[in-house]
Amino acid sequence: MKRILGVFLGVLTAIGGFVDMGDLVANAATGARFGMNLAWVVVVGVIGIVVYAEMSGRVAAICQRPVFDLVRERLGPRFGIANLVASFAINMLTLTAEVAGVAIALSLVSSINYLLLVPFVAVLVWLVVWRMPFAIMERVFGILGLCLLVFAVTVWKIGPDWGDLWGQATSPHVPSQETPFTYAYFAIALFGAAMTPYEVFFFSSGAVEDGWTTRDLNENRANVLIGFPLGGLLSLAIMACAHLVLAPRDIGVDELSQVALPVASVVGKLGLAVALIGIFAATFGAALETSLSAGYIVAHYLGWPWGKHVEPRGAARFHVVVMLAIGAAMLIAITGVDPVKVTEYSIVLSAAALPLTYFPILVIANDPTYMGEDHVNSRFVNAIATVYLVILAVVAIWTIPLMIITKAGS
Amino acid sequence: MTSGRVLHAALHLLDHQLRDRDGRLCGKVDDLELTRSADTGTVYVTAILSGPGRLLYRLGRRRLGGWLQQTAVAAEVPSDPGEGRIPMDQIASFGPIVQLTVPADQLASDAGEHWARDHVIAHIPGGRHHAAE
Repeated sequence: MKRILGVFLGVLTAIGGFVDMGDLVANAATGARFGMNLAWVVVVGVIGIVVYAEMSGRVAAICQRPVFDLVRERLGPRFGIANLVASFAINMLTLTAEVAGVAIALSLVSSINYLLLVPFVAVLVWLVVWRMPFAIMERVFGILGLCLLVFAVTVWKIGPDWGDLWGQATSPHVPSQETPFTYAYFAIALFGAAMTPYEVFFFSSGAVEDGWTTRDLNENRANVLIGFPLGGLLSLAIMACAHLVLAPRDIGVDELSQVALPVASVVGKLGLAVALIGIFAATFGAALETSLSAGYIVAHYLGWPWGKHVEPRGAARFHVVVMLAIGAAMLIAITGVDPVKVTEYSIVLSAAALPLTYFPILVIANDPTYMGEDHVNSRFVNAIATVYLVILAVVAIWTIPLMIITKAGS
Repeated sequence: MTSGRVLHAALHLLDHQLRDRDGRLCGKVDDLELTRSADTGTVYVTAILSGPGRLLYRLGRRRLGGWLQQTAVAAEVPSDPGEGRIPMDQIASFGPIVQLTVPADQLASDAGEHWARDHVIAHIPGGRHHAAE
């Protein structure tokens, strides 16, 4: 049982990364517009995050120091501060979107205007950060997030032409009504969602919070090999649902409420309820992930005591930063900014900043003074990781121009 | 002073994590104090500098760094008269983590932690519980 519960750090990280507020909508929108023609990007993204999350977890388990702690030490304070400012800003955008997303999910069941729920959600997020032990937190939201599997059930119940779906996924082409630019833009958005930097900040910090040591390297592997492919599966299921149910009826997706439509029409009310619980857990999980990450990266850069494994009094500045981040996110969300747009921008901007995060991980995972000779990267891992670094660099260069050319995919 | 150890200061010291006598994290090695020996002309690292403003100083933001340092002193936070100076005899060992022989309470780099604890966290109920089971 402990073994099974042990993988929920990976599950929560992946759900918060793959199917948070913006990604839920982005996945459904992709399915409605492109069918399964972009499914391959999710697979590419899953492999990338598995490789890098495994590395970051291994580093954390062996030297008890998460990624951002080592960024400044290895790459210097200037590079570190540039990375910190960029990551923190992207993280704030995501946190804002998640706070609004949780409020929207709650407003769907309560029919209270979501803006009124935003402060309530912010307090709830903070309370969990303040009081709930880390292990309980990862299990509760990881398990509830599994409710999103109802999207996979929906696809199965529709009984689609599997050959057609498989054909689209394996021999992708740009649909006639789309341009190569919008295709590339959506591809980058999906890739950015799979490899969002806060996933590795949270995952490696979580490994330290959970007290992993060299003996837990198998647990690390199980976490990434179960968690992230599961996140990818959920994202593909949402995409397929939108393609099968919404596209034939010419329904485009630009709101959270439309994401769950296919489930409601195929599985019914119970299915919808399960989907809403899943959406609530995923957005709430992502809010926890990003608010904690805000505190983690600042504390790691400056060498402060941090984390939920010490009492709040023992990590005072860390908790102050988390509190301020949640407060700021609440204030931005309450102005009524469109959370879908906010995450879209944050994902695409994070795609531009990805190499800043992943390059240091690769450097540290190859350094025997930190890892010992036995635990440095194998040649195989280095080969894949290097290929991904090239992909990340290409993506980073193309992101902003594509965003301008396609007017953010519209 | 004892005769020095040969270390690559930038690689083995700068930006490394500091840990106090009791295992608490207490800042990073923000900068180093170098002293040239009058007899031999050799340059020695005589202290680690860590605390408010020190990193900004090193990054060339002297005015901002000085302001931060003064604000911290004006608020009478650091009990440390050296303003973030940790002499070499208070260092137990070097490595990826620099281990100190003094408690964090005596360091300027921990002053902000005290301030946040006494002025913010202490006023919120439930700050004393131990979060990890």
